Amino acid sequence: MTAPAGAPTPAGPADSPRADGPFADGPFAEDLDAYRLALRDHLRAEPALERFRDRRYPSTEAKMADHSRLERLLYDGGWNRYGWPSAAGGLGGDERHRGVLYDELAAAGLPIPGQHMLLETLGPPVARFTPDLAAAHLPAYLRGEEWWGQGFSEPEAGSDLASLRCRARGDGDTYVVTGQKLWTSHGATATRLVCLVRTGTPESRHRGLSMIMIDVDAPGVTIRPVAMANGDNELAEVFFDDVVVPAARLIGAEGQGWAVAMFLLQFERAMYAWLSAAEALRRLRELRAQLSTRAAAGQELPADAAPRLGEAYAHLVALRARSSDTVRRLAAGNTVGPEASVDKVLLATAEICLHDTARDLLDDEFLFATEEAPAGDAPATASAAAASLAAESSAQVAQWRTDWWFSRSATMLGGSAEVQRTILADHVLGLPKETKP
Amino acid sequence: MTSPAPVATSLDEAIAQLLAGSLREVLAESPDGSGLGAALAELGWGEVLADDPAGATTLLFVEHGRALATSRVLDDVLLAELAPSLPPPGAGTRVPFYPLGTAAPVTPGAPLAGLLLGGLDGVTEVVVPVMIDRRVELALVPAGLVTAVARPAGGFDPASRWLLVAGVVDGLTERALPDGGAWERAVAAGRRALTAEIIGVCAAALAMAVEHTSARVQYGRQIATFQAVRHRLSEAHVAIESTRSVLAAAWAAFAHPDGGVGAARLAKLRAGWAQAEVMRHALQVCGAMGLSLEHPLHRHVSRAAALDALLGGHRALTAQLGADLLAGADLDPVVQI
Repeated sequence: MTAPAGAPTPAGPADSPRADGPFADGPFAEDLDAYRLALRDHLRAEPALERFRDRRYPSTEAKMADHSRLERLLYDGGWNRYGWPSAAGGLGGDERHRGVLYDELAAAGLPIPGQHMLLETLGPPVARFTPDLAAAHLPAYLRGEEWWGQGFSEPEAGSDLASLRCRARGDGDTYVVTGQKLWTSHGATATRLVCLVRTGTPESRHRGLSMIMIDVDAPGVTIRPVAMANGDNELAEVFFDDVVVPAARLIGAEGQGWAVAMFLLQFERAMYAWLSAAEALRRLRELRAQLSTRAAAGQELPADAAPRLGEAYAHLVALRARSSDTVRRLAAGNTVGPEASVDKVLLATAEICLHDTARDLLDDEFLFATEEAPAGDAPATASAAAASLAAESSAQVAQWRTDWWFSRSATMLGGSAEVQRTILADHVLGLPKETKP
Repeated sequence: MTSPAPVATSLDEAIAQLLAGSLREVLAESPDGSGLGAALAELGWGEVLADDPAGATTLLFVEHGRALATSRVLDDVLLAELAPSLPPPGAGTRVPFYPLGTAAPVTPGAPLAGLLLGGLDGVTEVVVPVMIDRRVELALVPAGLVTAVARPAGGFDPASRWLLVAGVVDGLTERALPDGGAWERAVAAGRRALTAEIIGVCAAALAMAVEHTSARVQYGRQIATFQAVRHRLSEAHVAIESTRSVLAAAWAAFAHPDGGVGAARLAKLRAGWAQAEVMRHALQVCGAMGLSLEHPLHRHVSRAAALDALLGGHRALTAQLGADLLAGADLDPVVQI
């Protein structure tokens, strides 16, 4: 996202993209290590961040709303603006800056704002294919004022995305969208939806697709949250009933939707994996602390606690080793191809292992402990202190239950485990193609 | 923050291929490694290794694994780290002792349990790590004392030519010298090399499985067109590639406060895990043919398992790592962007 080395020198400061003004790069754009250290110091010392640690939210809506405040704090300090082009509200730098942000947040015991999951997949194609749209909406995203949902899947098009049917008909300067989306990530809380729609004939498969950004408050949009097994409204079902969308909202050209989706996938494979690995390491640290508290209180840990923890940690480091390399390749401008399915398989393996480890080591508590309401004031007596500890512990276990369900989606979302293995078999191992029945 | 040392990149791709080709030829001709020393000298290996320790070591040991070679080149890797803490070997030949389990130093008086990478003919001294007063020391044991408790390590991998050492060797404490951290560094160096060797064995086994399933026809089609078979092969690929990444991270970890010891343990642990995955899948998709003596797969299965046991098997290391974490060890991120 920075000007390539050897780019022509601008005639003067007024023409320079680095000049002071609305399009200036920040002081850390060219110095990743300085960014890392300054960020680390800030996250450690900033009192306003304290309340985001160890927080448990009663709903997806509450979590996203609070995380938008965390996002705003990160924006005000300039921290989450690195890795994004200055023309779109960023401060320059590249994907590595974003990678460092996630890693340092997690190392400081802070959550990575939930908004970033889709910022990482939807932000890059919008910035790349439609700089005007990025300039208009990305700054608000980075400020935490809006975030986007991803509307790809449909009732009849899950893993087989190219069979989707939601239709956009060109009509002068607008498109008219009709159809349905399902499993729309963050569909229940987002302000806008980035959707893959059919602009070609029903038979056109991946050739007749386009990507378009639709406001959730546009007339004709109906959103129904899909309650997941853990009670979260992470996903939604979306209905479009002759929704009029300006043609300027097209991301890439009409019919280019599949190419845009393929571009987007690189970021999902590289950046989302790295983000998830950073968060997972924080969660493993928290699990270790929770187990230590139990052991210190005289509770016996399951006999296989050590090897299970060791295994979960080893999977995570393997994922980090692979993913860091992919992030660096992406930042260097390389295309991340089918080999990135290795990253996706490693991510799913690490996520599943971590959460199975938590479930098995927290054991009966995971299965049977009811979440207790936290005490309001500081406990005055010993029994009140014990009750407060018990409430805290039950909240921690409840969070693991919520996360365990979400971790099951690691082998489904963004291309199922089966799709990833097939990509590797086809394009990396070069095996003879699967024959169709 | 100091950036980690550059890794495995200084060896030019074309030169690496050339070296790999030469090594492959030499190891194919003499899998016992008898021609390896002369061949390495001819290739100017000392210089290659000095220029790019990560690239050169990985290249050599991947090929060593691919060829199922049985040379003692791993001994040299350990001895290079141990040498500064030991008197010059003189005219004799020295070999290191490889404790089983987690490769922990030996307790004086307790029976030794470990391996040697070959016979003791021509060997004068065996270097045995000993734990004395919670410090690691290096005992230089005359080979004759070890011969008495050593026998061929047949078992699962009869082709290894290793010796199994089991029994008490007296006088370890009297023969011990301060190690100055050399044993820990030697184990780490050995683990990095072994990780590469296991990758080589696994890559060869996966290539065999790909070849077999692409040629074998059942139900009127190549069996590699069946999803169940394809997915097993993909998983084997993921296991190998993730081990390569962790190995690169282990070489990059010298700047870490522990000198990369923890990352080397993790790499070896992952390599051991990977060989179990790869061999499970390779054996299944090769069917009964892979179980037969005439098919080469079984030799890869046995060798990979034996290499896993060297300097810490993956199950023992996983338990050790987890116990360290429970005891409060840092959850080292190992890798950063």
